[in-house]
Amino acid sequence: MPDHSHTAPPSDPELRIKALESLLVEKQLIDPDAVDAIIETYETKIGPRNGAKVIARAWVDPEYKARLLADGTKAIAELGFTGVQGEDMVVVENTDEVHNVVVCTLCSCYPWPTLGLPPVWYKAAPYRARLVRDPRGVLLEFGTRISDDVEVRVWDSNAEMRYLVLPQRPAGTEGWTEEQLAALVSRDAMIGTAIVQPPAQGAAS
Amino acid sequence: MPVVVTKDFVPELVRTGGSTRVHKAVAPRFRVGDHVLVRNIHPEHHTRLPRYARGKRGIVDQDHGVFVFPDTSAHEQGEKPQHVYSVRFTARELWGPQASERDTLRLDLWDDYLDLVV
Amino acid sequence: MNGVHDLGGMHGFGPVNPEPNEPVFHHEWERRVFGVAIAGFGGGLYNVDQFRHAIERMGAVAYLSSSYYEHWLSMLETLLIERGAITKQELDGRREQLSRGAK
Repeated sequence: MPDHSHTAPPSDPELRIKALESLLVEKQLIDPDAVDAIIETYETKIGPRNGAKVIARAWVDPEYKARLLADGTKAIAELGFTGVQGEDMVVVENTDEVHNVVVCTLCSCYPWPTLGLPPVWYKAAPYRARLVRDPRGVLLEFGTRISDDVEVRVWDSNAEMRYLVLPQRPAGTEGWTEEQLAALVSRDAMIGTAIVQPPAQGAAS
Repeated sequence: MPVVVTKDFVPELVRTGGSTRVHKAVAPRFRVGDHVLVRNIHPEHHTRLPRYARGKRGIVDQDHGVFVFPDTSAHEQGEKPQHVYSVRFTARELWGPQASERDTLRLDLWDDYLDLVV
Repeated sequence: MNGVHDLGGMHGFGPVNPEPNEPVFHHEWERRVFGVAIAGFGGGLYNVDQFRHAIERMGAVAYLSSSYYEHWLSMLETLLIERGAITKQELDGRREQLSRGAK
């Protein structure tokens, strides 16, 4: 038996995907360069900074915000964010009366063009099981407390609409540029598990 | 027929995606404001109707338009295009009288998942 | 189907436990699974509904005790054979070959 002392045997999933990919490539059913490009795109080029730009634009431009709420797909496309798992977008606005939060109980549906690929917690059983039944309890785990006089509105993405939460613009950001505003917007605020906190006192404007 | 996605095509694939919206005039069964009862169905095939909503009452909030029906599309039984609605449910309707009296939930439900409450 | 994937409302899964600043992929094999799955979808080897239903058919115990991209891996193994892209014999053979080569 040759001594392959440089590596341990591949783990089970490594071996399984190697077997699949090598067969598909040999049969010319997939192109390995395309596989690499897909990985690179979603690992490095698409992420929540996209969604943050949408939010910041809506905060500074009331007409854009109106378009965004009326037709999310079209308005988000104005900023160049389109495509896989974002073909049919709906933007839902947080107000003083309503706090929105999004889940996919059945699998992991998530708006890729604006938020990138979903985090592990979003796709795992605890969040998917509990958010629909106890959204306030789940939000507390994220450090987000919603007042009793605000409606928590849960969106279960069970069809092909993909939901993006438009968080409330925090106080203390008057006159900020879109770029400065976008830097405040976290991925979790666009899912609805967080809100956008006001900037620290004396933060640069 | 399957095609092979090449590296050069990847940006186009990513940018275009694959909407399941169907651009055909299909008559909706419901209108915004209708009270609906979610069907108590338990198919062994693929469905996007979660168990927690079956047999529950909601109100049609929005008509998203016409889409491929996953229950048939997953099984080579055709697209069966039909309307999908955002239906709102109160937390108490879904989870009982101990649930919040203020909170709500929305699900996107196809024509075939719903009946009208008269 | 009334599978265990239909999780809404279930009890007993414990805290959500978000990982701060987690990477997009935690292992190289996850990258490959993702890339191959999207390439297959883009090329029309299967549609999104078949994709999801294949995962739903994993079996309840397997589903709950494996990670997200292991679900996708199971989907690929199921659909690629069912839809005639590869045969079970070819897949078993290749796995055996790779497994022997690594020892």
